Amino acid sequence: MAVEKWVIAHIFSSFNNTIITITDMTGAETIARASGGMIAKADRDESSPYTAMQMATQLADKLKEREIWGIHVKVKASPGRKARTTAPGAQAAIRAFARAGLRIGKIEDVTPVPHDGTKRPGGKRGRRV
Amino acid sequence: MVTQYVKIPLDRIGVLIGHNGIVKEGIEKKSETRIEVDSKEGEVCIESIEGGDPVKALRVVDVIKAIGRGFSPEKAFALLEDDFLLIDVISIAHLTPKMLKRVKGRVIGRNGRTRRVIENLADVKISVYGKTIGIIGYSHQIRTAHEAIEMLINGAPHSAVYSLLERKRREEERNFFADESRERE
Repeated sequence: MAVEKWVIAHIFSSFNNTIITITDMTGAETIARASGGMIAKADRDESSPYTAMQMATQLADKLKEREIWGIHVKVKASPGRKARTTAPGAQAAIRAFARAGLRIGKIEDVTPVPHDGTKRPGGKRGRRV
Repeated sequence: MVTQYVKIPLDRIGVLIGHNGIVKEGIEKKSETRIEVDSKEGEVCIESIEGGDPVKALRVVDVIKAIGRGFSPEKAFALLEDDFLLIDVISIAHLTPKMLKRVKGRVIGRNGRTRRVIENLADVKISVYGKTIGIIGYSHQIRTAHEAIEMLINGAPHSAVYSLLERKRREEERNFFADESRERE
């Protein structure tokens, strides 16, 4: 292989699902994608790290067919007021990509962070049960 | 090469660097990164080294955040060693100073009893520091602990929180065994 082909893996990981979309370097052309429901049977497994790993290995096979050499990663967590930590899927997916023999380039956190954000639910007097 | 920035409270800078810089050196060696600390502003600058493990470079930000949120370096290091551990930070900055003090006391409990019960039943590590409550654990455990702490903040009696934690724990054990038997089939 003379040319090093790089792509971007956009990984969105929330506590309910993980979605991986692989695009070219412009981000406009989707090459392959996978989401939790394509692998896991139970809803609660869609976000599990094991599912993310399987998704990444499947995608890595597709990328190998296209002779892709390395990937840059953009990790995104659920935005807004919710937990801003990346959910379990992302790390597992990146590890699986690396293990499948793909070069990992830059890893970037692209979670949208509000400057002030929306009001928390529950109102002034809190959640009344 | 990627540079990342984190800001941590000034009183945690000393912990991050450690005696003669051992903690900082330990992080640098384990995560294959270079860390620069601005001890006047509390800004930490993390530079990944060419050829280093990129996942670890991403994780080291969480480690430093954890130390900044009051965790001991030993507990924070677990984040580097185990990929599936996560850190969650609950902010209680919206409370008035008087309420803040009371709520922190509720979460910690007498002699740290409540905190210990949550830590044991949900299998997490908890740190109450400043205006935040930090949790380190696996994703589903964090969810349980988060719910429990949220209840305490909103004023639920401790007994209700304990029974919730115990119920969740039993559920989890049942799920675990169910998964195992399914795998054996």
